[in-house]
Amino acid sequence: MSAGTVLRRVAAVRTGDGALIHAVVDGSDDAPVTLVLAHGWTLAQASWDDVAHLLTPKVAAGELRLIRYDQRGHGRSTWGRYADDVAELSIDQLGADLGALLDQLVPTGPVVLGGHSMGGMTIMCLAAARPELFTDRVGGVALVSTSAGDLAPSGEKLAERLQLKLAPGLVTAAIGGARLVERFRQLVPPSHPRHRKIVRELLYGADATDEMVIAGAEIMHASTVRAFAAFYPALGQHDKRTELKALSGVPVEVLVGDSDKLTPQRHSRQLAEALPDAALHVADRTGHMLIQERPRLVADAIERLLTAATAGRAAA
Amino acid sequence: MTSTLETQTTATREPSGAVREVGVAIIGSGFAGLCMAIALKRRGETDFVLLERAQDVGGTWRDNTYPGAACDVQSNLYSFSFALNPDWGRSYSEQPEIQAYLQRVAEEFDVRRHCVFGAEVAGARWDDEARRWLVSTAAGDFRARILVSAAGALADPTYPDIPGLDTFAGTVMHSARWDAEHDLSGEKVAVIGTGASAIQVVPAIQPIVESIAVYQRTPAWVVPRTDHPVKPLMQRLYRRVPGFQKAVRGGLYLFREFLVIGLAKRRRFLKPVGKLAKAHLERQVRDPKLRKALTPDYTIGCKRILISNDYFPAVAAPNAELVTAGIAEVRPHSVVSKDGVERPTDTIVLATGFHVTDLPIAEKIRGRDGRSLAEVWEEGMVSNRSATVAGFPNMFLLVGPNVGVGHTSMVYMIESQVNYVDDALRTMDAEALEVLETTREAQEAYRALIAEKSKGTVWLGGGCASWYLDKHGHNTTLWPDFTFRFRKLTRKLDRENYVGVPAAAPATTPEVAA
Repeated sequence: MSAGTVLRRVAAVRTGDGALIHAVVDGSDDAPVTLVLAHGWTLAQASWDDVAHLLTPKVAAGELRLIRYDQRGHGRSTWGRYADDVAELSIDQLGADLGALLDQLVPTGPVVLGGHSMGGMTIMCLAAARPELFTDRVGGVALVSTSAGDLAPSGEKLAERLQLKLAPGLVTAAIGGARLVERFRQLVPPSHPRHRKIVRELLYGADATDEMVIAGAEIMHASTVRAFAAFYPALGQHDKRTELKALSGVPVEVLVGDSDKLTPQRHSRQLAEALPDAALHVADRTGHMLIQERPRLVADAIERLLTAATAGRAAA
Repeated sequence: MTSTLETQTTATREPSGAVREVGVAIIGSGFAGLCMAIALKRRGETDFVLLERAQDVGGTWRDNTYPGAACDVQSNLYSFSFALNPDWGRSYSEQPEIQAYLQRVAEEFDVRRHCVFGAEVAGARWDDEARRWLVSTAAGDFRARILVSAAGALADPTYPDIPGLDTFAGTVMHSARWDAEHDLSGEKVAVIGTGASAIQVVPAIQPIVESIAVYQRTPAWVVPRTDHPVKPLMQRLYRRVPGFQKAVRGGLYLFREFLVIGLAKRRRFLKPVGKLAKAHLERQVRDPKLRKALTPDYTIGCKRILISNDYFPAVAAPNAELVTAGIAEVRPHSVVSKDGVERPTDTIVLATGFHVTDLPIAEKIRGRDGRSLAEVWEEGMVSNRSATVAGFPNMFLLVGPNVGVGHTSMVYMIESQVNYVDDALRTMDAEALEVLETTREAQEAYRALIAEKSKGTVWLGGGCASWYLDKHGHNTTLWPDFTFRFRKLTRKLDRENYVGVPAAAPATTPEVAA
C-alpha cells in the first residue's frame, strides 16, 4: 500500500440463501485489526460516513481495515430468500448475514464490531448464535442507540393496544401496496421542510444541524417501504436480553443520546446492567442518530476498542 | 473485367505492383461505404473499389463486438430503405445481428467482389496534372477519378491520457477493440467512461465480474429502452403485407424527428424528456448519493441521450461502484482516483469513444495544394453540404462534418448523402466533366447556415462539453435541424456551387478554367 492513498474494494458477499450483501472494504488486508460497521433500520452504510471519515487516517496509515456494508434489503444488498415473502424475517437473519460477511471477508485476525440501532441488535444476534466468535475473533463491540429487546409497545395504554392490534394488518398492507405507498412518499421528499421537521423531531437531538438532518433524511428516503414494513415486526420480536452472555467476555462501549425517542436511554442502561464491564456513555442533547450527531464520541469509543483488540492480539 | 477484379480483391498484390486504375475509390465498407457501392451498382457502374482496412465489411458494427453492443435506434429504422429486413429478432438489434445484416446486404448486392480487404489507406493525394486521386494502401496503390471517404466518425478509438496507463500490468482494452478471448469472470474491472458504449458494456459484464468500478467524468441522461423481441406474427406481417414495414419505419422516423423540435428549436419541449429520464433514474436508483452522482447538471440532449434499462441497476449492484472523483493515475495493479482511493484492478476497459471532431482520415487526404484535410480543417471542419471541400476536387465525404445525428438513424443521413454524391457523379458524366470542385464561397455559406441553425440549440446552449463540438466550441459534427431538411438540401447537386473542368480542357486550375 502506497502512502497517501486508501485501498478500497467493493465486495458482494453471497449468503447461504443467495442474498448479496454489498460491502465496501477500505484498507489493506494485512492491517492489524478490522472494524465492521452495521447500520440501522431503513438506513444504509452511508449513515456511518461521518464516523468512518474520522477513522480514515488510521486506514491510510495501514493500522485499520474498515468494512461498511448494507444490511439485507437495505441499500444495494438484496433480499435473498425473503424476495417474495418476508413473514420469516428476523433480526437473527441479519446476525447470520454479519457472520457470513466475517467468514468471507475477515477469515482471520482480530475484529471490532460497531452497530447502530438495528445494527447493534444484529451484533447481539450474532453473539447469541455464534458465541465462539466472541471468544477468539471479536475483540470489541460498540453498541450505539440500540436495544436488547422490549421494543414493542407494552399494551398498557389504549393507544398502544390499538397499535398492537393494527400493526400486523398495516404491515401486510404496506408490503402489498408498497408501490403505491412509495408514490405518496415521493410527494414529500427530504427537500420538503415538513419532511425535515418530522425527521428532526423523531430522530435528532437539539444540537443537530440541518445538514445532518438532510443527510439522514436522504438515506432513509432511499430505503424502501418494503424494508420499513418488513423489519418493523422483526424489531418488535427482537429479544436478546437473556442471550447476551457471549458479549460479557469482550470490551463493550454502549452509547446513547439522552433524547433518543426510538431506543430511549433505558434500553442502553439495561444493556449496561446486563454487561457489567461495558462502558455506558449518554450524550447530551442527542437523538437516535448519534453516529451522525456525535461522530467524534463514537470514533473515540471505537478507537479505544481497536486499541484493546490489537493489544489483546499482541498479548496473545 | 470481372475476372481481373476477382483476382485483385484477394489483396495479396505486392505493394510494389502496378498502380490500379479505378473510377471510384471508396474508403470504408460500413453502412456508408456499402450504401455508396450499392448506389453505383444499381445504375450499372462497376468500375469502383471499396478499400477496407479490416478483413470484412461492417465498419463500426464489425469492430464493436464488446458484450452488450447494440444500436440505440430501432432496427426497422436503422437499416437501408432499399433493404428492409422483416426478420429482425428484436426491436433494437444487437451488434451480431446488425453485422450479419450488413454482410447479407453486401452479398445480396454483390458488393464483396469490389472490396479490397486489408487495404488500410496510408495516404490519398490529388494529382492535379493527371486529375486523379492517388491512393496508397496496405494492399497496393490505386489511381482513382473519384475519391469517396466513407471512413465514418466512430472508426478510430480515442485513448485517454492517464498517467501510468502504460505501466498497468493487467489487461487494457478499448470497447471498440474488444478481446473476446479475455475472460473477465471473477476479475476486478475498471470501466473508464460513461458514454453510449459504457452503458452497454457495464450491465453486460457486471454479473460475471467480482467487482466493477465505473469511472465517470460527466453523467449521461438515460431514458428507458423500449426493447422487445419481435413477434413471429409481426415478422410475417412485415414479409407479407406490402408497405407495412415501411409504414412502421415511417412512424418511428416521425416520432424521433419530434425530438428535433426540443433539441434544435424550442428547448422547453425537452422538459418532458428530461422528466422521463429523471423518473427513470429515481425509479432505478434509491441511493441518494449515487442518484446525485448520476444526475447530469446540463440540459438533456446536450450530450447524447442514452437509452438503457439495465445500466442504472448495474451501477447500483452489490458488486459495483461509481467513482466520480476523477482518475489521478494508474499503477501496475490498481487505479487511483483523485480523492486518494486506490482500487485494486485486474482489467481496465476503456469506453472512451472515438475521434469524432478530428476525423483521422482527414490527416491522410491531401488536396491540390498538398495540404491535408486536417490542416485545412485546423480552424474547424468546413464543407459544402457536408460532402465536399474546396481544394479537394473529385472528393466526397460520407459521414463527415455536420451530418451526425443523436436522435435518429444515421442510415437516413447516409442515404441522403449517397444520393447527393451519386447525383454529382451523374452530373459529371452528363456534362463530361473530369473535375468537379466546390467553391470557398459555398463552403462559407454552408458554414454560416450551420452556425445559424445551431444557434439556440441545446448542443450549444445546454451547458455541457460534448463530442459534438470541436475544440473551438463550434458544432462541426451534428446536423442541427430536421433530418428531412438535410435530405431536401442534398436531393440534387447544387451545381451553381461547383466549378467543373471538362475532360477535354487543358490541365489548369479550375479557377482559371471557370
